[in-house]
Order: sequence, then structure tokens, then C-alpha cells
Amino acid sequence: MLNILVSIKQVPDTTNIRINPDTGTLIREGVPSIINPYDIVALSLAYQLKLRFKAKVTVITMGPPQAKNALKEAVEFGADRIILLCDRKFAGADTLATSYTLAEAIRFLQREELFDLFLFGKQAIDGDTAQVGPGVANRLGIPVITYVVKIENLDPIHRKIVVHRKTEKGIEVLEAPFPILLTCEKDLSPLPFVPLENILKAQRAEPETFNAEGPLSFQRDKLGLKGSPTQVKKVYTPELKRIGKIYNLDDVSLDDVVSKILDVLRERDLL
Amino acid sequence: MPLEKKGQPMGKYKYDVVIVGGGPAGLSAGIKLVEKGFKTLLIERGRFCGAKNLFGGIIYTSSIKEIVPEFPEVDNFPAERPVTEEGYFFISKDGVVKILHTKRDPKESYTALRAKFDAFLSDYAIKKGLDIAVKTRVLDLIWEANKVCGVIVDRPTSLEDKTPASIEAKVVVLAEGVNRVLTERAGLVDRTVEPSEVVLAVKEVLQLPKGEMEARLGLGENRGLAIELMGEVTLGLPGTGFLYTNKNTLSFGVGIFLNKLMDLNLKPYEILERAKALSYLRELFNGAETLEYGAHLIPEWGIKAFPKLFGNGVLVVGDAAGLVNPLFREGTNLAIYSGLMASEAIKFAFEKGDFTEKALKRYEELFKESYIYKDMLMIKDLKAILLSNSQLFQVYPELMYQICHLYFSAQGRAKRDVIREILAIIRRKRGLLGLVRDFLKLGRILW
Repeated sequence: MLNILVSIKQVPDTTNIRINPDTGTLIREGVPSIINPYDIVALSLAYQLKLRFKAKVTVITMGPPQAKNALKEAVEFGADRIILLCDRKFAGADTLATSYTLAEAIRFLQREELFDLFLFGKQAIDGDTAQVGPGVANRLGIPVITYVVKIENLDPIHRKIVVHRKTEKGIEVLEAPFPILLTCEKDLSPLPFVPLENILKAQRAEPETFNAEGPLSFQRDKLGLKGSPTQVKKVYTPELKRIGKIYNLDDVSLDDVVSKILDVLRERDLL
Repeated sequence: MPLEKKGQPMGKYKYDVVIVGGGPAGLSAGIKLVEKGFKTLLIERGRFCGAKNLFGGIIYTSSIKEIVPEFPEVDNFPAERPVTEEGYFFISKDGVVKILHTKRDPKESYTALRAKFDAFLSDYAIKKGLDIAVKTRVLDLIWEANKVCGVIVDRPTSLEDKTPASIEAKVVVLAEGVNRVLTERAGLVDRTVEPSEVVLAVKEVLQLPKGEMEARLGLGENRGLAIELMGEVTLGLPGTGFLYTNKNTLSFGVGIFLNKLMDLNLKPYEILERAKALSYLRELFNGAETLEYGAHLIPEWGIKAFPKLFGNGVLVVGDAAGLVNPLFREGTNLAIYSGLMASEAIKFAFEKGDFTEKALKRYEELFKESYIYKDMLMIKDLKAILLSNSQLFQVYPELMYQICHLYFSAQGRAKRDVIREILAIIRRKRGLLGLVRDFLKLGRILW
């Protein structure tokens, strides 16, 4: 049986994100939380693998109590076990503290059962660092393949996987034995239309909650804000500078505008 | 004619009652049904209950208490501000005439946003034992011997069984909203909705710079305004606008009969943009950022065009039935009460062991005993009067402003002249006879 761990993050829906100009912080009010879209890809992949192979899927997240909703949604994707890392002491974590906390929790879970595949989104859309997946792999001492765009082959018997990885120069085709951590690019897996059974199951699902006190022990100084060397000094929206001229077709004729555009393009030797 | 669907593989999903739609009508029916011990499934199309829903919005404590008795003393309070002042703003091109009333009991009603309020109700319902399937669409009703006995949804049954899931139920409650597709399929109404039967409401949630909303509207902490806007705000068309204060934002919207918009080829966003350009609103919204934008149809077909409220194995509640009282701004309220009545009727049907029309007629009987029926009868001609008397929306707000203007700036003149001038304006704008006629028309509704 394939044993899969998926790590997800609940993020504000950044399609309509706003920043408070006075404080420089995110306005969270009225902004719905969603599962990070790349993590949805990871969940979708786990779902597809579950359809094809016999697989068990464990989903973990770290976040405030409402992150529970992200885990419930993970059950729609067929998660068999959901775990919430939730404690005030975990709060304010940067990527270093986050990967420490996640890696410790995963290590704890691995005392019971070893995972073959670790699926992470390539990055979260609120921080965009792409560091947590590799950070966890490093701490667990397992190999990592980032920016995976395709699973070419997965062989549960010989326990290995062949994947395509996107790089700046092109696609790398890599083969790796289990265990392996993959970070998922958006085209890796289509979004499944999950059965009613899963939807109903998700509604009543309750995660197991781990906090700073247990069931595992953490090094306090590596948790949350304390364990985070990154300090956010300022967040701001870069000013949009429009240098283009706008002509209103009520004032100027279309022909005039077209010839003006042509003039500018010629002026700059673009035509 | 409804399609007979026999031989559907049944058995995997079996409920006493299936409710289609997770608005206040469906959720209150659901809460009451699980409280009475019925195994109930609610099916909601949106990502969560409330995701697709929109209202002005005010919620009333008395109706919510029927389903959440501890309200307003609840965790995760789902509303914004208590309504402490209510009234009408008559908006003309030049300015505004305000009628405001300070409420005696601020706990009577609250401003609210549906995404939050409906989600609260759905959490409450789930805790009570209601099963809710979100992100799921009902494709069709299942029929057996001329009786509705379940629904088919778009989602596959299970990982192994890819066929669309069938859900068996003794009674199906249609709380599907204004777009009443299944009500039509159930044979409870024989035609689609006409543009003259619905109001298109367009709404924005606006945020002013910190403290500005309170300053501009003279609001204290934990005090809230609920204002209906009349006149130029609907471009003088039959309809109204509204302005409600949320915690840190303003809900502002305009609703106009859809046929009038079609006649004038007006786009929903144009209505709001034009309204926002009026001097009073322009000043009020100066510097505001639009956080949300939405539009929704309001079913104002009235009791004359109600669908049949019950059939064999099926009931219709809320917007799908047309339970809206535009004159007294009741919608959510009526939806909740209809959900309650549906749950009572279903209990009656289970006691009788009869799920045909014969037993479910109980729902209509309960409805006819309720105040809602009386109100719906009272306003039965409202739509026709509003649609054929545009002057109510064009002339009067303008007239009120001019009269007030003359009255309040009458210093240094003989007052008799001012009064004469006022009467002359009335005569010019509407004529004294017209004025009397308009009052009689409205009076006929109210008395």
C-alpha cells in the first residue's frame, strides 16, 4: 500500500487581497480563506493516486483553529487522517520555524508508519517563498524534487517514481526511489470531481490536534515567532505607474487614435 | 410533464427529507426537521451555505429566535451592527430629505452579510445533526408513481460507482431560491419567471477610510443605520435603494424591476454608478473602496402568481415560492417562517404515514393561518400599482425636497407667499387631484 502524506496551508484568497495602507498588514476581514491552490494540486494528485493504487492519505496543516476547515476540505479529496498543528506558540512562524514544526510532527507520525510520498504545493500564494517543502525534506533527510509537472510512472512494487520537473531551461525527467518529497506545480493533476460520499464524510470530519505540549515535544525556541529569524519590516503595494496616454473615443476619432499609436511606435523604432 | 424515473439504483443514500438549497428557508427547515428527529440532508450548490446568497441585509431577532433560541447571545455572532435607527432617505438630484426613527429596542434587528449569516446557520444546523452536502447540484427529481421520492445530484455516488448519486427521500423540500427550476420540474408552476415579476438588486459593500463612516453618518459605537432610499437613486424607476451600516463597511444597493431595466437597456453596474454620482451619495461615498459587488433577483411575483406550495412528496419554501414582502422589507424572515411551517407539515405527514398532497396540504393550511398570508394578500396589487405609477418614484422625492427647501429657507419672506409657492409646485408636478389619487392608491393597499 502506498502511504502518502500531504502538507497543506490555508491562505487568504489573494485574488481579492487588500493591504491596509496605514498598518501595512493584510485586511483579512471579508477575505475568505482557501486551501493554497498548489496544495489543492497536491491533494488532487493524492486523490488520483488513491484511485489507481491502494493508498492511504494523511493530510497535515499548521494554522489557527479555523485551518480545520482546510483539513475538512482535504477529506473531500479522500484524506484518511487529518492533523492540525495548532497552538499560539506556533504562531508567527517563518519558513524555518514552519518546516521545523512540520518535520517534527511528521517524524512523530513516522514512528507509527513510514510515508512513501510527501506531497507539498510548490509554494503558498500568500508568502510565495517555496521553502517549506524543501525545508521539511532536508530536516527529514529525504530527497526532494521541486516543481513537479508530471508523474510519468509510479511503481509501487519497486517503490520508485519517475517525474517531470520544470526548470528554467526545460523539463528534467527524474527517477527517484521512495521515500521522496515532491512539490507540485499547477498542471500536475486535474481537479477531481469528488463523489458525494466524500463530501458528506468531510462535513463531519474532525482533525486530530497537535499542540506545543503534545503528543510530541518540540524545542520551544524553534517554534513560532521565537524560532523565526525572518522579521517582516514592511509590507506595501508597489505603486502602479501608468505612463500610457488614454484617449477617450468620445473626444478623438478612432482613426486619429490609430495614427497616434502608429506615430509613437515609429518614433521608438518599433515599426 | 414530469419524467417518470423507475429502476434507479436506490439504497446508498436514504433520507427522510431532502432539502434543496442552503439559504435561510432550507436551513431553518433543516434545523427544525433534525430537531424533530428526521434524518435530513440539505444540498447546497455553493462552496458553503451563503456563498451564493445575497440580500440587503437586515436580520430580525424574532424570526431567528425560532430556530436559534439563544440568539443574539451566540458564539461567532453572525451579524454586524444592531439597527438603532431606521428610516427613509428621499433622494433627489439636489439633495436629500431624511426620515429617521430611533428604535426602542436595538436587539430587534441587525445588519448582516449573508456569507457570514448563512454560514453561521449552517454550522448550527450541522451541530444539530443536519447533513449538508455543499458544492453539489441537484440535477433532477426522482419520481415514482406520480410522487417525488428523491433527487439526483451531479456528483458520483462513490469512488467505485461513477453514476450520479440518487438520494431517496419521503419528502423533498425545494428551497432553491428565485431561480425555481425544480419547482417547475415538480409541476408546481407551469411557466418560467417573467422579467416583470422580479426585481434585479445590485449591491456593493463599500469601505470608507477608518472612522469616516461613523463620522459621515453620525454613528456611535455599536449603533447601526438601516435606510431605504427612494427617488433619483433608482433613476425614478419603480424600485428602491438601501443603505445599511455593517461593522466597518456600508451595504449599498439598488433594486429595480427587471423589465424596466430591459426596456431601458440598463446594465446592473450602470444603475449603481449613476446612483453613486448623485450629490448626496457622492459625498457620502467619497474615498470609498468597493470590497464586494453582487447582484441578485428578488421574487416579487406576489401571491397571485405563487406556485402551488405543495405536491406529492414535495414542498416549496422561501424565495422559490415568492415569499417576499417588499413594502415591509421582509424576505429572510418569511423564508425562515416558511421553513418552520414546512417542517411542521412534514411532521404531520410522517404521523399520518402519508407523503402525498393530501397530507402535505397541511403546509398550505399553516401558511394560510399565518400572518404572512394576510400580508401577501394585502400587497397583492402592489407590483401592478408600482409598475404603472412611475410618478411615485419620480415626482415625490423631488417634490419633497423642493417643499422642504422652500419651508426651511423661508426667512425674510412673507410666509403666505412661500406656502403659495409650495402649492404651485405641487400643482405643477402632480396636481392636487393626482396627489389625492396617489394617496388613495397606496391607501387601498394599506387599509
